[in-house]
Formats: sequence, C-alpha cells, structure tokens
Amino acid sequence: MQGHAKQENRKMGAEVLRIVQYLNQFFGGIGGEDKAHVGPQVKSGPVGPGRAVQEALGERGEVVATIICGDNYFAERIEDATAEVINLLRFYQPDAVIAGPAFDAGRYGIACGALCKGVKDQLGVPAVTGMFRENPAVDLFRKHVYIIETEDSARRMSEAVSQMVKIVLKLVGKEKIGKPSVEGYFSQGYLENEISDRPGAERVVSMLLAKLHGQSFKSEVSLPKYDRVELAPGIKDLRSATIALVTDGGLVPKGNPDRIEDRAATRFGVYSLEGKDALDPNDYEVNHVGYTPVFVLQDPHRLVPVDVMRDLEKEGVIKKLHEKFYSTTGAVNIVENVKKMGQAIAKELKNEGVSGVILTST
Amino acid sequence: MEVHVRLQLDIFNIKDIQFAGRTAIKDGVLYVDRSELQEFLGEDKRLSQVDVDLTHPGEKCRIIQVTDVVEPRAKTNGGVDFPGALGKIGTVGQGNTCVLRGTSVVISEHRRARDAPMEPSLPGHGAVIDMSGTGAALSVYGKTHNVVVVPRSANGIGLHDYRIALKIAGLKTAVYLAQAGKGLKPDEIEVYDLPPSSGTPKGLEGLPKVAYIFQFISGQFESIPGYPILYGCGAERIAPTILHPNEVLDGAIVTPYRTMGMEVFGLQNHSIIKELYRRHGKDLCFVGVVITVAHDIEQENERAATMAANLVKWTLGAEGVILTKSGGGIDEVAMALTAQRCEELGVRTFLALVHYPTMLSGGDNTTLFNVPEVDAIVSLGTPHARITLPPVERVIGKPIDLEEGPLASGEIKTTLHTVRGVISQIGSSGLIAVQS
Repeated sequence: MQGHAKQENRKMGAEVLRIVQYLNQFFGGIGGEDKAHVGPQVKSGPVGPGRAVQEALGERGEVVATIICGDNYFAERIEDATAEVINLLRFYQPDAVIAGPAFDAGRYGIACGALCKGVKDQLGVPAVTGMFRENPAVDLFRKHVYIIETEDSARRMSEAVSQMVKIVLKLVGKEKIGKPSVEGYFSQGYLENEISDRPGAERVVSMLLAKLHGQSFKSEVSLPKYDRVELAPGIKDLRSATIALVTDGGLVPKGNPDRIEDRAATRFGVYSLEGKDALDPNDYEVNHVGYTPVFVLQDPHRLVPVDVMRDLEKEGVIKKLHEKFYSTTGAVNIVENVKKMGQAIAKELKNEGVSGVILTST
Repeated sequence: MEVHVRLQLDIFNIKDIQFAGRTAIKDGVLYVDRSELQEFLGEDKRLSQVDVDLTHPGEKCRIIQVTDVVEPRAKTNGGVDFPGALGKIGTVGQGNTCVLRGTSVVISEHRRARDAPMEPSLPGHGAVIDMSGTGAALSVYGKTHNVVVVPRSANGIGLHDYRIALKIAGLKTAVYLAQAGKGLKPDEIEVYDLPPSSGTPKGLEGLPKVAYIFQFISGQFESIPGYPILYGCGAERIAPTILHPNEVLDGAIVTPYRTMGMEVFGLQNHSIIKELYRRHGKDLCFVGVVITVAHDIEQENERAATMAANLVKWTLGAEGVILTKSGGGIDEVAMALTAQRCEELGVRTFLALVHYPTMLSGGDNTTLFNVPEVDAIVSLGTPHARITLPPVERVIGKPIDLEEGPLASGEIKTTLHTVRGVISQIGSSGLIAVQS
C-alpha cells in the first residue's frame, strides 16, 4: 500500500509527498472526553481535517495515514507517547508530518508540539502544527516548531490547514521561510536585523509627526505582556522562619563549576553555606556581563549577605539561614528562562521548609 | 533683538590621507606630519609613545582594541575645542568649526593582558573596525579614511590615568588634524541656528513642539574619576539639565571610556538632533534638548525621570519628545520610566531603541518595559546578530595573547556588538530588528 501511490504518481515526473497527520480522539472521530485515554491507533488515508489537508496538498502530496491518540493518554506520558507515535509514523516513511491544528485545546496542543519537535529531531523530517495564541503549548514549542496561528475554534479549519500545508511544502522543498507576520506562524524567538532605507533617526521623527497629527502609525517594537504573579502571604512569625538567599547577580564558586552561562543563563547553581559565617572572596567569582563586578569581588556579601543573615540568626530575628544559596545570572536573560528557574528554585526551597527568600539582583 | 545661537560647520570633503612633511589639506587630500603629531601627543607624560597609522576604506585591514572614534573638528574663530577635556572650559555651540568629513580618528587602546578588559563580553581583540568585507559594509568607520592612534602608557601610570590620557590623545589628534583647514575655503557649509525656545518663534505657531531627551551616560558601568565627559568634568551623577543642541554637536560632551553604540563621532554628527534641525520650521518646532543620566540607584532614576519630564513639559513646552538610551538593560528601564513621566504630563513619547535582550522573552516582545502609553517605538537593531568578519592582511592595534581565541588577523565569528560603527543608540544606522 505505501509504495503504490508513489509509483503511480511518478509517472507525472514529480514525486508525490507522503504526509502523515496526527489528530486527537475528537478530530479523529473516535469520541470525546470519554475517549481521551485511548492510545495511538492508525488509520490509512486522511481522516476528518485530513480531508482539508488533502485538498490543500492537491497533487503535490497524499495523506497516506492518520495517527489518532487520546489527549490524556499523550499528556500523561509525553515522552513515551511521542516515541510511540513516531514509531508508528516511521513505517509510512513520511516526507512531512502535520499535527492538529489544535486550536485552543491545551493537551492537544502539547501533544502536537511535542510530536512535531520529536519528528523534527529524531526523523529529520519537517513537522508543522497550528494553535490559537492562548494555547499554553505555543510558548512551550514556538522556538522548536513552526506553529501556525489559528483562531480559537475549528470554524476556519481550511484556512489554518492551508497555511500549514504551505509551510510544509516550503520546508520539504528547502525553501526559505518568510517572516512570521507574512507566513502566519508564531515568531520563533529570534531577532534579526534588516536594513531600512531610512536611518532610525528619520523613522522616529516621522513616527512622531504621524502620531502627533493623529495619523495612523505602526510601532516597530511591541510591548511585552507580563503575567501577574500573586504575592505569597507575609510570614507571620519571622522568628520561626527559615530564610534563603537567592541571587541573579552571578556569584559562583571560583571556576564556575556548574558552567552557568554569563548571559541568558538557563542554569542555576546551589552552593553550600554550611558552617560558613561569611563568604571568603577568594572562593568566589562573578559570572555576569551586565555590571562591573569590582565591588562584589571585593566583598561578596554585598550581593549575598551571609554575614548579616548569620547575625540575624544569632539574634533570633529569624530561626535559620538556609544552608544553601541559589545563584544564577540575570544578564540579557529572558522571561522564559528565569521563570523556569524561579519555579524550580521555589519548589526546592518549599520542599526544604524555607518560608522566605531574600532575592538580590544587580 | 533676536538671539541667535548659530554654529557654522566649515566642511572639507577629504578623499585621501597621506603622511607627508607638513600637515596640510590640498585638493581634498589631508597630509599628516606624523612625527609632529607624535611629538605633540607625547607631551602628555602619562604616555610613553603614540603610534599613528593610516588606513583607508577597501584595505584588508582591521583596527582592534577600539575604544572611541572622533571626527576631526576644530574651532577656527575663537572658541574652545572639547572644553575642559583639552585645556580651559569655555562655551561651545557657536561660531565656526572646521570639519574634515570622510575621515575619523580611531583610538586604539594598547592593552596589557592583565588589564581589566574594556568589556567582559568582548573577545581578546576588543572592539574592531574592518576596512573591507562584511564589517566595513555595515560600519560608518569602515567607510572613512582613518587616522589610528595607539597611545602607550608610561611606566608607573595607573590604568585609570592611562584611559583618560587615551581619550585625550584622540581628541587632541582630531583637533590637530582639523586645524589644517584653518583659513582655507571649505567645500560646503552647514549652519545650525536655533534661537532660544522661550515663546514660539514667529511663523511656527502651528507646528508641533518637539524636544529630545538625550540619555548620554549610564551608571551601568564603572566610572573613572576625573574622566572628562560634560564640559570636561565627570557627569555620572548629574540631574537632568538643558543643553542647546549645538553644544552636543560642538564638543560639550565626550563619551565615557566604556560605551555601547555611541562614539564621540556619533555625538558630533548626532542623527536625531540633525533630523530635528532638518525638519524645524517645516514640520515641527524643535524646542530643545534635555540631557540625562541612567543611574544605578533607583531613587536617582526616579528623580531623573521626574525632572527630565518636567523640563520637557514646563520649561521647553514640548508636545512630543524623543528618547534614546546609552547602554543596556538599566538604561532601557530608566528611559522607559522617563517616558512614563512624560506621558503622565501629557507629552507624547517616541522611543528609539537598540535591543539588548538576545531573544524574545516568551511572547512577541523585545523590550524590558511595559508602559502602555509608550506605544511608538522605533527599532535600532539588535547587536546580537551574528556576523563573520573575513581574515585580513593587516592589523592595527595591539592584540592580547590569550590561550584560546581567534587570531586578530583571522576570520572572526562574532556579533555586531563587536564592530564599532554598526550599532548606533542615536539612530544613525538603518538597522531594524525583526522577529523571526
């Protein structure tokens, strides 16, 4: 069956692309939430949205198989499920994989994102998916995988699918993929330079005149969307609290044993304070490109105030200084990295009975 | 009686520079008496010797350890050159200044391996200027005929003193060269004439009043005591104040030792000031410049933001204001805070910024701030874009021998940040960063 379609179309001189599509239990026609636990199964040819895919492909390709899997099944064992599905796909020797589109469905989005990344990394074959911008899987996978921006429901399925197919065809043909705003995918986290015909000075004055005259203008840079972090309730009784020191000023033991990056760090280090009343400047260095480290090198307490914390311990103001301090580098870092690290550090500290943190930065 | 603050630039378009027996300008060629210049620079006892070299656009030459670049300019009708930095403090911004266009003085630091690096993120060869290849194509200074000075420290001179002497040597060279134009007829002139902004100049009533907040120095980096920055004195802790734009163009401000995307050359040719001048009287009424500092102490930043906004609104009477920054993250936040205060007073803000974060921070944004009213932002590019500089045949400047790291003359895979004259915090380049 797999070789058949290829041979037939070879008569035309052009090789017909073999596409495998991944769908969840709902779009795969197996059932609703009640079937979300179902493991992967294969159907030959296109199923459900696969028909829109086939239409968009036209004669260029054929949806040779569809793999359907329950959202819960995948979400509960992401790595294993990815491996399982890839094994099933392998059999069909796909030229490309299309997953979803997942629209606003979170678990489905994660499955699509993880699968596409896995296909890309392990099979070396293009894989594209589509999601609504609020799907949590967007931020998780946008860097690794082309995710077409879709609406929040399947209302405009064929449009979403046709954009996905366009990118797939370009990837297979090794053509250059245009800018996110043009091709319709979420930006992948890169910033590149182009050269405008006008210097920045001219552009900013023009933008000013347009805005002051009430004309429409387009900002070249958009503002971030920060999420709100709920404040933890205050510590009622400091005298029974264990407080930890955490810093993003890049203080590390000499030699930077954990090889934390000096900018855009993705790792943090955990360093023992057991038996230490003070930090010896000879034992530490500063690993951070964004500030002059002279003062911290002279006296690390300026960044990680172990000495003062020990005094507070002795005076009974706090019960205990936590026996480890956490350190990473905030320079030129991005919210995604520091958020991950912050969450990991908080989890560890919470498990170890720490109730408060003094966070120092530079 | 109308007051005029009139600066006339007498410009010589230089097509070549050569060493010769006497410093002079003839038929578009600048001739330089190298030994006279070296002797003159050697009068500074903080230096033991100063090497002077020439390099031209198109040469397979790389200048390394670049700390600053200055356009040769000299006052020719009375007036003071780089007041306070070179001799007495006096006013600038009026009268005649001779300019040798098409040339630059490049200051290359003679670093020793154990010296604190200019910047931790630059490799052992420091910042570079290439005279041909990809680096030259993108850089302002790859297209000028360059006089490179490499001053060496005298024995027993501390690093700070040397780094001050280093800048002074570059400024002195710029003045020395431009003085060759004294008494000669310039190829062209440019006039910068902006009367005081009190009241609205006749005929300009209908035009929007626009100011510029120029953040010229940052507390991000260690300051060197005694380093001449504003009228020859340190300026790291000053509160915002008003300068006439001509003062910025005419040498009142010298960039500090460590800068990102700004050189003295850039200030002398300040793109935003020149653009505001260009459109003054036609599309807008340029009401003035507020200079400010980005501080590393929160309260001083709050003060700076509040005072700068007040000056723009209450003293200059601006309706719109342009803001730029001088460094990385802290400076961007300081600029945004200042913009926020301006918006609170009803002054519309327009930012031009260089993107220092390497990647998008989870979403579609590339800024470190989120002030909803500040929605008109121009991108000046990202310095983190990669560039491969081709190998060269000649290197000017002292390489530092490191255990690892590329040969200064070889191919260098680096980012735009390393090449001077590509990134401009004040908008002289056409770079614009786009998401991909």
